[in-house]
Parts: sequence; structure tokens; C-alpha cells
Amino acid sequence: MLETFNSLMLGFSVAFQPQVLLYAFAGCIIGTLVGMMPGLGPLAGISLLLPATFGLNPIIAIVLLAGVYYGAMYGGSTTSILMRIPGEAASVMTCVDGYAMTQNGRAGPALAIAAIGSFFAGTVGVIGLMLLAPTLASFALRFGPPEYTALLLMGLFVLAYMSGGSMTKTLAMAVLGLLLGMIGIDAMSGYTRFSFGIIELGDGVGIVPVAVGLFGVSEILLTAGQQETPRVQNPTLRQLIPSKEEFRLSAGPIMRGSLLGFMIGIIPGSAHIISSFVSYGIERRMSKHPERFGNGAIEGVAGPESANNAAATGAFVPMLALGIPTSPVTAVMIAAIMIHGISPGPMLIQEQPDLFWGFVASMYVGNVVLLILNLPMVGLFVNLLRIPYAYLYPCILAFCVLGVYSVSNSIVDVWIMLAMGGVGYVLRKFGFDLAPVALGLVLGPMLELSLRQSLAMSGGDYGIFLQRPIAVTMLALGLLLLALALKPMIFKSKDWRSKVGLEDQVE
Amino acid sequence: MKRIALAVIGALAALGVQAQDAFPSRALSMIVPFPPGGVADTTGRPTAAALEKILKQPVTIVNRPGAGGAVGNAAAANAKPDGYTMLMALSSISVIPEADKLFNRKPAYTLDQLDPIALISADPMILVVHPSLPVKTVKEVIALARKQPGELSFSSSGVYGALHMPMEMFMHAAKLQMRHVPTTGGGPALTQLLGGHVTLTAGGPAAISGHVKAGKLRTIVSWGAERHPNYPAVPTFKESGYDITYYIWAGLFVPHSTPAAVTKVLRDAVRKGVDDADFKSQMAKLNSPIQYLDAPEFAKYWDADARRLAAVVQVVGKVK
Repeated sequence: MLETFNSLMLGFSVAFQPQVLLYAFAGCIIGTLVGMMPGLGPLAGISLLLPATFGLNPIIAIVLLAGVYYGAMYGGSTTSILMRIPGEAASVMTCVDGYAMTQNGRAGPALAIAAIGSFFAGTVGVIGLMLLAPTLASFALRFGPPEYTALLLMGLFVLAYMSGGSMTKTLAMAVLGLLLGMIGIDAMSGYTRFSFGIIELGDGVGIVPVAVGLFGVSEILLTAGQQETPRVQNPTLRQLIPSKEEFRLSAGPIMRGSLLGFMIGIIPGSAHIISSFVSYGIERRMSKHPERFGNGAIEGVAGPESANNAAATGAFVPMLALGIPTSPVTAVMIAAIMIHGISPGPMLIQEQPDLFWGFVASMYVGNVVLLILNLPMVGLFVNLLRIPYAYLYPCILAFCVLGVYSVSNSIVDVWIMLAMGGVGYVLRKFGFDLAPVALGLVLGPMLELSLRQSLAMSGGDYGIFLQRPIAVTMLALGLLLLALALKPMIFKSKDWRSKVGLEDQVE
Repeated sequence: MKRIALAVIGALAALGVQAQDAFPSRALSMIVPFPPGGVADTTGRPTAAALEKILKQPVTIVNRPGAGGAVGNAAAANAKPDGYTMLMALSSISVIPEADKLFNRKPAYTLDQLDPIALISADPMILVVHPSLPVKTVKEVIALARKQPGELSFSSSGVYGALHMPMEMFMHAAKLQMRHVPTTGGGPALTQLLGGHVTLTAGGPAAISGHVKAGKLRTIVSWGAERHPNYPAVPTFKESGYDITYYIWAGLFVPHSTPAAVTKVLRDAVRKGVDDADFKSQMAKLNSPIQYLDAPEFAKYWDADARRLAAVVQVVGKVK
């Protein structure tokens, strides 16, 4: 314990060097701005900034990039809440209740709670990273394809929990997402599926253009189609601050979301995306008034936002403790330190104590920076809503196009986004929930890959899922969830699901 | 006021005229067909920086990832052949058209759409196993694989990808059968091995070094033509009696039928660029050996490599 304390002091001595501090600030600010750009998420942000770090020393480079990374995680929630545009996949759930809160005139509290939740989750994540990194990292390595498959199945079962209104409609949307996920080169055989000769579809349909189109562009179209011009909001200072009741309701979701996100975050792969979906599902289930979800429940913002920020920190555990890039984001970070001649590996913490502890300490600093940066800005951001829609929406649309294009310099992505905007518009007119589409698209390809990897490992024997304790435990939990979700269907008992929809049904 | 405007226009026009006769007169772009942080990207950026100094024009990196490099390669292949668009491609450039042929697809691009400028770097792959596996030499690996045919498994960065090809070469040469577990990249492939979910994998010398030093991976044999300077104790396949070599290389290309005068400027620039001190130190830090070859030699090298890889793709055939 004392050793950890001493090391942490070493870390703070690094993190408080004026130059390091300056770059941590810069990273957070750039990250927040990048995150607010529709479509541009943390990965795009740190990728764009990577070349700029080549001339810096490795500690500053990683502090800057980490700042951009969690800054973008923060920033992503802003556009989700204010304009219903997810900055990246992890903020899809925030769009649902966050935007509903904005429509109810509670944009300020939603933003404030998102910032506070992210701060808490970020801090929990750093503490976990600091104390448990080596222990957790070896546990994380035990997550091979079979465990991953079980985890994803569990994620899909949570879908049954998320669903509201018509089960048929929800499942139809999930299937639409899964179908979209089938596009692209088959990872096992190299066949191209449903790409119609468009090379860019080889990697499948990205979640970013789909999410921005389905949620953001469709919202713009719907507003344009309304008879009356929507009322421009004029929030007063009082409306910016969360009420006591809102604080009380958020405390539990923030804590649960933080723990859940961190645990999911350390697992190699891109599982952190599902942490926000799972958190939403859990909060809805635990709530005494699940019917509020979809209509502006603050828990629906607090839980997922905390979960995705904790997961962002959790992803650093295998990266720092084992030196392996387990996700695209950590791959870029590892490249950033490799460029300075540091070879990543399990000895990273011992060989580069300055780097590790400086990084950890800078994350404490960064989280505080983000909180003091973001809370006062809530007022500023909310004022964006004062801009008349005739000016605001064309600008947003332009930013959507720009953001989606710049992720991988692909015009095909822009077309996907626009097409999805049209699809989203029609579907919402018919009262379909769109979140299951995003979930299906995210989970489908991951589930397919890990399932087939598992079977490749076992030579086609499904028994592999029963031979591995972690996988068995998770599958059993998943089946239990499924059984609970099916119960009302079988016994015809009325539950909350019959009364509510996930989102407002648009007339 | 009017006079000033006219003067400005005149000056701009003069610049424009000057621009006509000397290449390059404006910014160049270098397409990297992979996301930032990969080998193509980390080789491309120092190269672009070195070229900037020599050409006195900005060289911008444009990442066009997708479909294992096919998107960026095709973009470069179909770009205007004026020398302002270059491509930093990896050895996989030769595999993609072959795979397209195999599946009767309209090829994304063909190799004759691109002209080589220079080879920048090349690094052999190294076969690594999990340290719990009781094998230390390639002979023991083969013996183990023969004893349990089709039971050992290897991870790769993707089907027909940079880590799949060398393993297929090995399996074909030693007549082995193993299970193939494709993942989504070099990092995830290594993670599968570190977690003990597969038996072996091919790894880049730089990517595995930290894990080898820490004893989390054991090196067996390398695909190099000779021993790797950073791994002097690791024998090559050739020494072990198998005539297989496999390098991941990065080279610079321009679209076919770029004027010879323009390619000459670029070739000269790269020749000077690889001697640049900053470039050298950047590449050394990355553990990425500079392996410079000018266009004629590179064309030969590329041709031989492409034929070797095409043969492997044919042998592998469609994955069942």
C-alpha cells in the first residue's frame, strides 16, 4: 500500500510538471471539442492527433492522447443530449433519455449529471487501474472467444429487458440491425457478403454513420416535417441545475454504471460499447417507474454515461499491464509510445514507472479538469438551443456530414448516414424504437466472429462453451435473464412493458 | 486599391506559371490504406516528413482504411497519375487481387495499375508459441503437430492477411494441418496467443519483443532469409531445411503511367530521404529496419514476392 502511495506521488510529480499539465489540459479541451463533433468519437480524435505527438516525449504524448480519449467520451454525451446525435456508439443510449430531457426543458441537468457521472466513473476507473491493474489484466486474458461469445449473448438477452412497447417491433428492429451487421467480408472465409461490388462495404457498415443517421438526421427530418416551428428553448439559470430529486435518482445508476463499465472495459475487444446498453437495461429493470424511461428519465443518462466512461478507463488495464492493444483505441496509444522506442509488454509498469504512474496521476488530474471545464460550459451549451432551428439544423447536418466523412475519409460512409437518416425517419413515423438497430449492428458482427472463432478453436465442437467456467457462468446468467423476460409472455401477466414504449411514439 | 489587387493577381499568376514547370508545385498526399498506428502508418509518417524536407512541399498522410487495405490501394490505383498522390502499401497489396480472382469478384484494383517508387522497409515474421507448450525448435513444433493432426491452432490478423499467409506457407511446406482462428488485427491475434487460446502465431519482431523479453512468448523460428539482428538466436526456416521466406514490407507506389520525369523526382527524393537522420532515428525507435530499394530493384523484388504470395493463395484456395 505504501509502495503504491509512493509510486503515486512519483506519478503526481510527473503529472504536475507544468508542461505535462498543459498538455493534459489541451488534450481534454481538444477531446471535448472532438467528441461534440457529430460522428467524431474518441478513436477518430486520437488518430487525428497521433502524428502531432511524434515530436513530444512519450509521457506527454500518452497524457495528451488519453486526455483526448476521455475528453471525447465526455463530449460525445453533449450532442447526444442536446441534439440526439450520438458522437459514437457508446452514446446511443444517452440519446434516448438525454434528448427526451432536453425536450422537457431539462437539458441542463442532463448535461450536469452526465458530467458528474463521468467524473465519478473516471475516478473509480483510475483507482481500479492503479490498484488492480496487474491482477485484473491476467484475468482479462482468460477471455478468449468462447467467453466473449457468452458475454455477447448475455448482452443480447439484455435487449429483451430493454424492449418496451411491442416485442415484435423491437425484435424486428434488432433483426434489422443484425442484417446490416452481416454486410462485408466474412472473417472466416474471405467471401464478400452483400457488398454489391462496393469495396468500402468490405469492412461492413460502420456503427457511426448508422447511429448518426438513424438518430440525428432522422430527428432533423422529423422537425422539418412538423406543422409548427418548434419552440426555441430559453432556459433560465435555475433550469440548468439538477434538482435534489434528480441527484437522488442518479446516485445509484452512477455507482452501478461505474462498476459495471469498468469490469466490462477490461475485457479485450470492443465490449465496452455494450456496457452502456447493459447499464441502461439494468437501470430500467431496477427502476420503480420503468415507464419513465424513454421519456426523459435521468437514470437513463446517469447509468450509461458513467458506464461508458468507466469502460474507457478499464480498457487501459490490459494495455498498460500487459502491453497489448486490445481495441482500436489502445492500438493507437501503443503506437504512440512505440514511436518513442518503448516496446510495449508485460514489463511496461516496471520498466517505465514514470510513464505508468505519470499516466495514472494525469488521469486523476484530467478528470478534475474535465469536470471544471464542463460544468460551467453546461450553460453555454444549453444556449445553443436558443438558436432558431432554421439556422441550427442546417449547421448540424453539415457537421454530421463533415464528421462522418473524416472518420475514415470515406464518402460511402456519408451516403450510409444519409440513407439511414431516411430509414430512421420512416421507422419513427411508424413508431419503431431505433436503439435495438444500433445494438444489433454492434453485437451482430462481434457475436458472429467470436462464435466462429470458438468453433474454429474446438474444431466445430459446441462443447467448448461448456468446458470453460467463465463462459458457463455467463451463459447460465443469460438464460436466467431470458427466462425472466419470457415469463410475462408465457403467463400472459401484464407487466410494465405493455404500458410503455422505449421512446416517444411519434405521431 | 485596384492596383494592389491587380498586383496580387499578377503575382499569383506568376506563381502559377512557375508552378507549371517544376514538380512538385503544390502539396502532395500519401494514401495509407490502414488506420493510424499500423505498420503502414508508422512507416508512412516518417517517410512523408523526410520527403517534405526534400521536396519543399507538404506531404499529407491520408488514411483510407478498409477491407484489409483494398479501399486505400484501389483509391491510389485509380488516382490521377500526376505524382501528387502516392501510396504507402504493405505486402498485402499483392494478395488482395489474387483473393478477388479466387472468389470471381470484380477486382478492386490490379497490380499493373500501380508503379513502384521505392521499398522502404521489410521485416520477417517470427513464429512464436505460448511458453507452456513443451516445444523449443521448429522440429518439435512439427512433431507435435503431426502427433495431433488438426489439433493445434494458430491465430491470424484475418483470412489471407499478413499473419495468415506465412502460416499457410509453413503448413504447406511441412505438410501440417492446424486450426485457423482469424481475428481482426495483429494485436488481437497476439492477445489470443498470450491468453493461451491458440497454440501459435506469426508475429512481427517489434510487436513481440516486449513479451519475449518478459518470457510470455517463446520464439521458435523466423521467416527471414537470414537471422534477424534483434533475434540472433532464432534460426530461420531456411536453416531448418524449409525454403520459405516471408517479409512484411512497406513500399511507396504511384498510379501507373505517372510521367517518368515526375517519378524520377520522387525516386530521388526517397533516396535522399532514407538517409535523413530524423527518418533513421524514427525508424530505429520503431524497431523497423530500413530496407531501401530503388524502383527497378523494387519492381523485381515485388514481382518475386507477388508470385510467391499468389502461389500461396492458390494453394490455400477457398477456405472451407
